[in-house]
Amino acid sequence: MKRVMQYLATLAFALGLGMAQDARQTTLIYGGDWSDLITLDPQVSYEFSGGLITDNLYETLVRFEGTDLSTLKPGLAESWKVDRGANAWTITFNLRKGVKFSSGNEVTAKDVVYTFERALALKGPGSFLFTDIAALQPGATKAVSDYVVQVSLPKTSSPSTFLSILTFNIGGIVDSAEVQKNAKNNDYGKEWLTDHSAGSGPFRVVRWDRGSQVLLEANPNARNKPKLQRIIMREIKEATVLRTALESGEIDIAEGLTPEAVKALQGNNRFKILRADSLRLNYLGMNVKEGSPFANPKVREAVRYAINQDELVNGLVQGNGTKIQTIIPKGLLGYNPVTPYKFDPARAKKLLAEAGYPGGLEFELLVSTGICGGGVPCADIAAKLQSDFAKAGLKANVKAIANAEVLRTYRAQNHQVVLVGWSPDFPDPDGNATPLADFAAKSIAWRNVWNNPTASKLANQASLETDANKRAALYKLLTELVLREGPYAILYQPAVPIGLSAQVQGFVRSAIGTVRFENISKGQP
Amino acid sequence: MFAYFIRRLFFVIFVVWGVTFATFFIAQVVPIDPAVAALGDNAREEQIQEFRERYGLNKSKPEQYLIYMGRLLSGDLGNSLRTQRPVVKDLQEFFPATVELSIAAFLVALVIGIPLGIWAAIRQNSSVDVGVRVLALFGGATPVFFLAVLLQYVLAQRLELLPVQGRLDGFLFPPPRVTGMVGIDALLARDWTAFFDSLKHLILPAFVLGAFSAAILTRMTRATMLEVLSQDYIRTARAKGLAQRIVIFRHALKNASLPVLTLLGGLLGGLLSGAVLTETIFSWPGIGRYVTQSATSLDFPAVMGVTLLVGLVYALINLVTDLLYAFLDPRIRYA
Repeated sequence: MKRVMQYLATLAFALGLGMAQDARQTTLIYGGDWSDLITLDPQVSYEFSGGLITDNLYETLVRFEGTDLSTLKPGLAESWKVDRGANAWTITFNLRKGVKFSSGNEVTAKDVVYTFERALALKGPGSFLFTDIAALQPGATKAVSDYVVQVSLPKTSSPSTFLSILTFNIGGIVDSAEVQKNAKNNDYGKEWLTDHSAGSGPFRVVRWDRGSQVLLEANPNARNKPKLQRIIMREIKEATVLRTALESGEIDIAEGLTPEAVKALQGNNRFKILRADSLRLNYLGMNVKEGSPFANPKVREAVRYAINQDELVNGLVQGNGTKIQTIIPKGLLGYNPVTPYKFDPARAKKLLAEAGYPGGLEFELLVSTGICGGGVPCADIAAKLQSDFAKAGLKANVKAIANAEVLRTYRAQNHQVVLVGWSPDFPDPDGNATPLADFAAKSIAWRNVWNNPTASKLANQASLETDANKRAALYKLLTELVLREGPYAILYQPAVPIGLSAQVQGFVRSAIGTVRFENISKGQP
Repeated sequence: MFAYFIRRLFFVIFVVWGVTFATFFIAQVVPIDPAVAALGDNAREEQIQEFRERYGLNKSKPEQYLIYMGRLLSGDLGNSLRTQRPVVKDLQEFFPATVELSIAAFLVALVIGIPLGIWAAIRQNSSVDVGVRVLALFGGATPVFFLAVLLQYVLAQRLELLPVQGRLDGFLFPPPRVTGMVGIDALLARDWTAFFDSLKHLILPAFVLGAFSAAILTRMTRATMLEVLSQDYIRTARAKGLAQRIVIFRHALKNASLPVLTLLGGLLGGLLSGAVLTETIFSWPGIGRYVTQSATSLDFPAVMGVTLLVGLVYALINLVTDLLYAFLDPRIRYA
């Protein structure tokens, strides 16, 4: 009897090992700081990690593929058409037939209508994209037939921006029958969808252990069959642990490594390093309100000439970022690669003297105590700027405070110069152009009290232009204008350093942070 | 005895109320706007206004406090501003991980601290005693993050004996959630692979977290044992010819246990209030990490919820400790 038990135990152990081996080949563990994750509901989620995950649970009508964020590709809609009506835009989507949700229900026009109405009704943190930016009204989305949906938008909103917004998780089509079945007190299934999924994407949610991991499994009904069975989003907050976990094989992908970790992993053939682009811009915002020294454009010019950008990007940021001086990030339509401001302290001094500050200028530079893009502490960047500025007679008093407090000061227009970042809300140049150039948008230009009617007009014109070439030409004018006269000194576009086990194949991360899990596979170790 | 118990319970309520009051007013001094913290940089003015209204942040501070306490009396801890869920649900999710880790760390402290303390006391001023004292000094003085990173580097990265982070190997399917303590859940599901794996994941964080407690416990045990061992009745016991084992464990240890018990209560309370650093370094999803994240975004209901929980745990542990005195020392009577 005892021997039989021993035999069974050995067998069970061997089977367990075998299964674990198999699981290693079909499971991907993706480590990163997902602590911002609040919900997996596509219409409510507005956090970075929420978008990353929901993007793989739900499909959108149109989508971007790979790293290209300027060409719309068919998603659930196989084709679409924009019509200019007398007083409104009409966008018609023809849905693919036979696509199924994870429940087995077919994706039809009524799910699209339900999803858009749901986004409007829930008023989540991202619903302003629908209500304010696209000016989508309740009832404006209609099912013409089972497979045709029509959306009408007022003349004042931009159809191309709306289409870009639809690639975002807010446009992720939910299974209306399944969601309604789980709805409580008219909440459109919001509570249930927080940690469940009801989409047609390649994966579905199995469970979410908060603070620990989200477990996704291949959706058996998916149109795009994933190569892996399971994806585990493992939450690791500490960057050094992230690196150790990757090195010891506990995770396959480590997102958000420090520049030091990147250096250490480079040259080790067990790992690959990827510097994924982001659409973020780290910049200095100068308050130009009346009475401020920065109200004088020459002082702003001086600041731009007093920054040694090459040293900053290649030295401190260690290449985990791209040099940029214009307000539309690389990767979007309208990106302007010019970099006319070279480090020139003498010229900066001269400009300051012309502006009436021959003896130099002292000001407060507000920074967050946290980490700026590219894994570098914001205070380190401030210190580097401070030493550059000193050479040009600019004396920056660095004040490092909690990020929320930096933002509060900035939003109240109470800063002199602030070091912050901006990421567009949606992958469209308008996500930068309007906030950074149009005072009336009450966003970044407003915070810096920069009111330039030409810039506002150009931003509005460009947002409504449907012809891509004309639109690009307008953005060229706008970026040049803001470059010379705007209240900014753009510093760099940070990259996200990611470490991957050499086994991982097919990992592509777009600049807005989407990763299509279905394309990832794992080779033999 | 019963009257004493009731009186103490009443006292618990008072302590917990005091804690909420203090937390509330400390939170007011922090110059962070919870709405901006929760909604982020890109949020529009209207969104921020809407958020303030929805969570009653526009009302005056005393008014906010009264509303909060009113709801609390009916058992409602409110919704977290950050996770947008009932705080009770969040606590249910995060506290079990802390309980699991604390109990393990507590056991580490007990298993190391008490025997070492006794050993050092018996061999007072010997090389053993000096060795134990030096060890305790290091254990008490080494910062948690240093010890954690050192052990991670040696045991996990270099020797690959133990995992670096988490509660369970990512490649294993986690057992169904019942208690929220992975080890116990694995046992309930009879999933032995998961059970042993969860123990493996528990060793490093439990040791790191327990090391400090073990050091204090060693010193305390040694000191009280030394005091007791110098008493007359120990000499009498020895003179009677009793075995050393009986003298130490039956006569001395029982009398030395009162101060040790007090210390143990405090240590357990401290462990259960969540270890921010250990939880962060080992990616352990406990209330320590939850509360730091809540505090940095000034998520008042969440911070308050954790404070209440911790206050309650402390008060109850103290109560239990006091009641245990009576069992250990028959001279103590409660009236």
